[in-house]
Amino acid sequence: MQLASHIYEATDIAAVQELYHSNGWTDGLPIVPPTEDAVRACLERVMMTPDQLIGIEPVRGLPILAEKLAINAVMAGCLPMHFPVVVTAWMAMMREEFLMHGATASTGGCAVLVVINGPIREEIGALGSFNALGNSDRATAVIGRAIRLCLINLMDVRPGAIDRSTLGHPGKFSYCVAEDEDDPAWPTLAEQRGLPRDASAVTVMAAGAPRQIMNEWTTRPEEFLETFAAEMRANLRHYSIHPGNYALIIPRQLREHLRAAKWGPRDIAAFIHERARIHRREWADVGKGAVVRDRGDSVYPAMRSADQLLVIAAGGPAGGFGAVIPPWLGDKSHAVTLPIGACVDCEPPPSVKGSVP
Amino acid sequence: MIFRVLDPTPEKVAAIGNPAPRLDTLRGKTVGLISNGKEGSKGFFAHMEDVLRTQYGVANVVLRTKPNYSAPAPAGILGEIKSWDAVISGIGD
Repeated sequence: MQLASHIYEATDIAAVQELYHSNGWTDGLPIVPPTEDAVRACLERVMMTPDQLIGIEPVRGLPILAEKLAINAVMAGCLPMHFPVVVTAWMAMMREEFLMHGATASTGGCAVLVVINGPIREEIGALGSFNALGNSDRATAVIGRAIRLCLINLMDVRPGAIDRSTLGHPGKFSYCVAEDEDDPAWPTLAEQRGLPRDASAVTVMAAGAPRQIMNEWTTRPEEFLETFAAEMRANLRHYSIHPGNYALIIPRQLREHLRAAKWGPRDIAAFIHERARIHRREWADVGKGAVVRDRGDSVYPAMRSADQLLVIAAGGPAGGFGAVIPPWLGDKSHAVTLPIGACVDCEPPPSVKGSVP
Repeated sequence: MIFRVLDPTPEKVAAIGNPAPRLDTLRGKTVGLISNGKEGSKGFFAHMEDVLRTQYGVANVVLRTKPNYSAPAPAGILGEIKSWDAVISGIGD
């Protein structure tokens, strides 16, 4: 397999690091040297040639080739088994409705949240349990980092270049979570979004930083979900009034209360859609009176419809915690879910009736 | 030990268009302003229109506002550009 990228020679591992840092090719952390063998191994894993077009970024028209994704994935620490998730996440990010250019260039400073579903989680050791939104495991750490390194090196999404974030947030180093799918009766995020449970899948969302909540003084869904809704109302007041894909991270302790009360993701979404909304006049309470004008009585829901809520099961087994992950800018960007290595909505093959067996 | 490592960036620079010919003067011209529609852009472009008309003698100022301030201008606005002598696309935040 012939690779097309320019090859640099470095005398030792320290020289490799300086080469990549000095060219602005890193996120500030050390990288794994992207050797030809390591990059070929990633490409072989997904059965792609180096020049395979993964997609074209729709705003700037930049072609994204498999070889360059693989180089950046290796740099992030990915093993070949992690690479299918990176490729699929990038395919999802290049969908027009994701608005990757706006989301990665904006002063709003969001990151790309990657959610992994299906059997591949266990194959690669993506755990979705303790510390799910932090450094939970190798797989989610390196996959999330690969997304960022690809943005930096393929799209010039460097701070001060295309990336105009005022603040950004720590998820811009790595923002990837695997769902906890231990409960077969709890619909996974990919299932909620129309894929079969046995398909591995990736969901990407242009996402703000997680806002953690805690309520372990009740077992009633209406009460602890009100805490989530209150956090969303706070986001509507303090950050952005635009409705869109919010994500709720619900760890096991709260999910057990929900299951006992026979609440599933749809019930959660319906409740949250009803409760997570504010009047525009509330902006005056938080110093934003200048933009209330004569529309104080207008009601602003966090989502346009209940199905904009992404209900994600993840987190350690104990603790009445949860998290709200707000959208970058309402539904200017839509979350995208794609299956990994499968086409679940392709046309069926032409009839073979009458053909030679 | 020598490490042979690969360039992670696109080595082929994407083709970009050439800038349009520069105007000798703005006097008597039609200038289009493409606003991103953010709150702060309203006052900014109103002032710019005033400056263009009073200080530079611009004959017509056409203001168009994008429906999504984080996305490119839609085809309808882009189609109008050819009827303008110059266009200013700016961020007001």
